[in-house]
Amino acid sequence: MTRESKPPRAEQQFFDDPAIDRIMGAFMSLATEHYVLLDRFRALERELAKSGAINSAALDQEPDESERAESLADRNAFVEALMRPLLGEQDALGAPGKFSLKTTKSGA
Amino acid sequence: MNDRSFVAAQDFLLSAKTFWTTTLYGAVRDSYADKASSSQDEASASVEAVAEALEDTTLYQFYAWLERHLQRMKYAGRYGLVSYHDERRAAFLDSLDQIESEGRLLELNENLDLPAYYTGVDIHQHPGGVWSDALAGIVYERGARTTTPLLGAAGKDVHERFTDVALGDGAPKTVLDMGCGFGKSTQPFYRRLPDSRIEAVDLAAPCIKLAAGMAQKAQAKNVRFRQMNASNTDYASGSFDLVTSTMVLHELPPKTIGEFLDEAFRVLSPGGRMVNLDFYSLPDAFRRFIHHGHARRNNEPYMGPLAEMDLSALLKSKGFVDVEIVPFKESDDIDLEANESWRFPWTVIAATKPDGCTS
Repeated sequence: MTRESKPPRAEQQFFDDPAIDRIMGAFMSLATEHYVLLDRFRALERELAKSGAINSAALDQEPDESERAESLADRNAFVEALMRPLLGEQDALGAPGKFSLKTTKSGA
Repeated sequence: MNDRSFVAAQDFLLSAKTFWTTTLYGAVRDSYADKASSSQDEASASVEAVAEALEDTTLYQFYAWLERHLQRMKYAGRYGLVSYHDERRAAFLDSLDQIESEGRLLELNENLDLPAYYTGVDIHQHPGGVWSDALAGIVYERGARTTTPLLGAAGKDVHERFTDVALGDGAPKTVLDMGCGFGKSTQPFYRRLPDSRIEAVDLAAPCIKLAAGMAQKAQAKNVRFRQMNASNTDYASGSFDLVTSTMVLHELPPKTIGEFLDEAFRVLSPGGRMVNLDFYSLPDAFRRFIHHGHARRNNEPYMGPLAEMDLSALLKSKGFVDVEIVPFKESDDIDLEANESWRFPWTVIAATKPDGCTS
C-alpha cells in the first residue's frame, strides 16, 4: 500500500520569531555537515599516516611563530568575512534601511 | 551519501539528543522548580500552570525546537534514515526478498483496510509512516535503536525486561502480541517459550515482513506474524493464555483503545492475563507537561489522550479483574522519583479475564 502525496504542512513554531526556527534548522544542518567533514578528515589522516605519507605527530605540534605569522592574513580575512555583516553596512551604495511597499501610492 | 558520512551524521545527532536528554532537560526542570517554589506549590500545579511558567522562556523554546528537529533530522534530509535507505533500495529490497514470503512465519493481507487514524499522521516523524514504503520496517528498526539514548543503558534490553514482567513465573502455552511492529517485542517470547505457540499481529506489512525475517534468522519454529488489525482479529474466543502489547495503546485513539481491550478480552482464555507496556504513569504536572509537548512534537496525536484516560476504570468496565497499573523501569539505574533525565513514562498495564468467563 502506498500513500497519496499530500501538500506540505507548515512546520511547528517554537520561537516568537519564526525566522529563528528556520535559521536554527540551517545552523543544525551546517553543524551536522561540519561533524561529517571532521570525521572524514580524521579518517583521511589515519589512512595517510598508515601509508607513511604524513607524520600525524607533526600535524599535532604547536605551529611555530613563522607559521602563525604566515597564516595571520588569511585568519584575519576569515574573521573579517565572518564578522563584517554584524555592522550592517552596505558593500555597494544603494537606498538604506528597511523598506515597505505597503503604503506606497502613485503620486503620494 | 557514503556509509561513513551517514554514521557520522547520525552519531552527531545522537550526541546532540543525549545532551538534550540530560543537560537541557535538567535545566528546564530546574528552571521550573525555581519558578514554582517562588509562586505556588509545585505538587498542586496544573499542566497549564507549568506551560504559563515555561513556554515563553528562551531555554524551553530551544528545548522544544531540538526535540522536534533532532528527530526530524534523524529521519529526513540529506543524512536522514529515509535518504540513506532509499539510496540503497535495491539491496534492501533484495534482503527482504530472502524472507520466506508466505507460509509458516508470515501471512500478509494486501486487502487489509488501514484505519484513517493510522495513515493520517506520520508517527515518530517517520516520512510516510511505518507502513507506506516497502523499506519502512527496516528504516523503523534502524531508527528505533537510537530513539532514547539512555534506554537499556544498564542491564537488560527493555523488551527482555517487559517479558520478565509479562511471564512472571508462568509459561503460557499460547501468546498473542498485539501490534508487534517489526517483532522486537515478540522475540523474547518465542525464544524463551520454545514449546508455546506465539502469534503476532500488526497493520504494517513492511514491519511484519522484517519481523518474520528476524524469526527466520533465529530459526524460530513457534511464531507466526500476521498482517491484521489487533482490534479486530480472526482468532477464536478464548484462544490465548497471555495477550501482550508494547508501545501500542498510545498510537490508538480512545475509541479504538476500547475496541482493542474488548478484543484482548475476547481472545483471552478464562483466567488469562493481558499485559501491556505503554506510556502512562505521570506523577506530577511538570512531567505531564513535558509528555504532552513530546506527543505534539513527535507526531503522536493519541499519546496525550491516553495519558488523561482512567485506564483502571475502563479495564474494569470491560470485565477485567486484578487490574495492575505500575511504573516500569526501562534500565537498572533508573530512579523513578529523581527525574534526572528525560524519559518516557513507562508503565505496565495488566489485567486478568476472570476464571469461568466464557464471553
